[in-house]
Amino acid sequence: MILSGWETVFFWIFSITAILAGLLTVMARNAVHSALFLISSLVSVGALFILLGAEFIAGVQILVYVGGVMVLFLFVIMLVNVGAEEEGRAPMFHRPLQVATALLFSLLLVLGLLNAINRAFGGPKDKEQAEQTAIARGAREQTLQTGATGVSRLSTETERVGNSLYTYASLPFEIASLLLLVAIIGSVMLARTLKQEAAADDVDPEVSLTAAGMQEMEGQG
Amino acid sequence: MDQLYIPVLGLIFQEASDGRLAKAIDGVKHPDLSKFLVIAAILFIIGVAGVLTRRNLLVIFMSIELILNAANLNFIAFSRYLQESGTGNPMAGQIFTVFIIVVAAAEAAIGLGIVIALYRNRETIWIDEIDLMKW
Repeated sequence: MILSGWETVFFWIFSITAILAGLLTVMARNAVHSALFLISSLVSVGALFILLGAEFIAGVQILVYVGGVMVLFLFVIMLVNVGAEEEGRAPMFHRPLQVATALLFSLLLVLGLLNAINRAFGGPKDKEQAEQTAIARGAREQTLQTGATGVSRLSTETERVGNSLYTYASLPFEIASLLLLVAIIGSVMLARTLKQEAAADDVDPEVSLTAAGMQEMEGQG
Repeated sequence: MDQLYIPVLGLIFQEASDGRLAKAIDGVKHPDLSKFLVIAAILFIIGVAGVLTRRNLLVIFMSIELILNAANLNFIAFSRYLQESGTGNPMAGQIFTVFIIVVAAAEAAIGLGIVIALYRNRETIWIDEIDLMKW
């Protein structure tokens, strides 16, 4: 897998954007700014997915992460009061010693990872192979069906993902649906207030508590 | 192009030999799998540092999303690599990514529900003030 030409330019643009936006997510004082920087980081990574030929995943990334999860995050940020941090009265980070230790271990982790990647890939491949790969990909794309406009060609990537999802990964697919159901019920249960719980049980919590206490006392007596 | 790059970069990296420098420039001009892995590793580390250093519970959640996203990038890069090398199941990486996104969505829903319940009870989202279970 070797990119060339315009793909290289877009690779560097989107990867640098993703990293800078990721850094700003962690560094931003305002939580809303953090969320917006995270959105731009996620969109950049989505663009890298398109560069890698995974159009369906890129679409899902934009729809689910940016359209769903991040909107949820923004709602919760609005619900929760974070005024003190924004005004600079409360510290953003932990105490300096804790931060220093955390960063030291992060540095060790990054060194280990980069060392491992460097060792596994002993330098870039030669140009001939890059050109061959590009030519092979171009030839493969020529066999694809043309789109309605006649300019671009239709990718069969989504079809392949769908096929694999229902054959190779059909059991995890069903389990994922169950997980989502549990998540929906769980988040509804967590976000309920005491009043709403009482309304759902049709009994005031204090009344039900005293009734249970009296039954217990009767049982002991 | 190379005639332009090599003298400029050669001034900056004095000790780098000509062959190594040309190789490095070629790596920049033709990014391969390792470049994607490096980008994903950097995003992962940023997320880990965010989880370990920030006090705001919501920003910690966002850092977790960043970590999951870095893992997704790795999976997709390896999926493409397998497609071109023709070994293994090339779609496995993309399928894994779909499930990671599903789990991330469920995790965000539950996690934010917990944040709201916590804020309702403790009136704080600073994780160093949430120390009920600490001895």
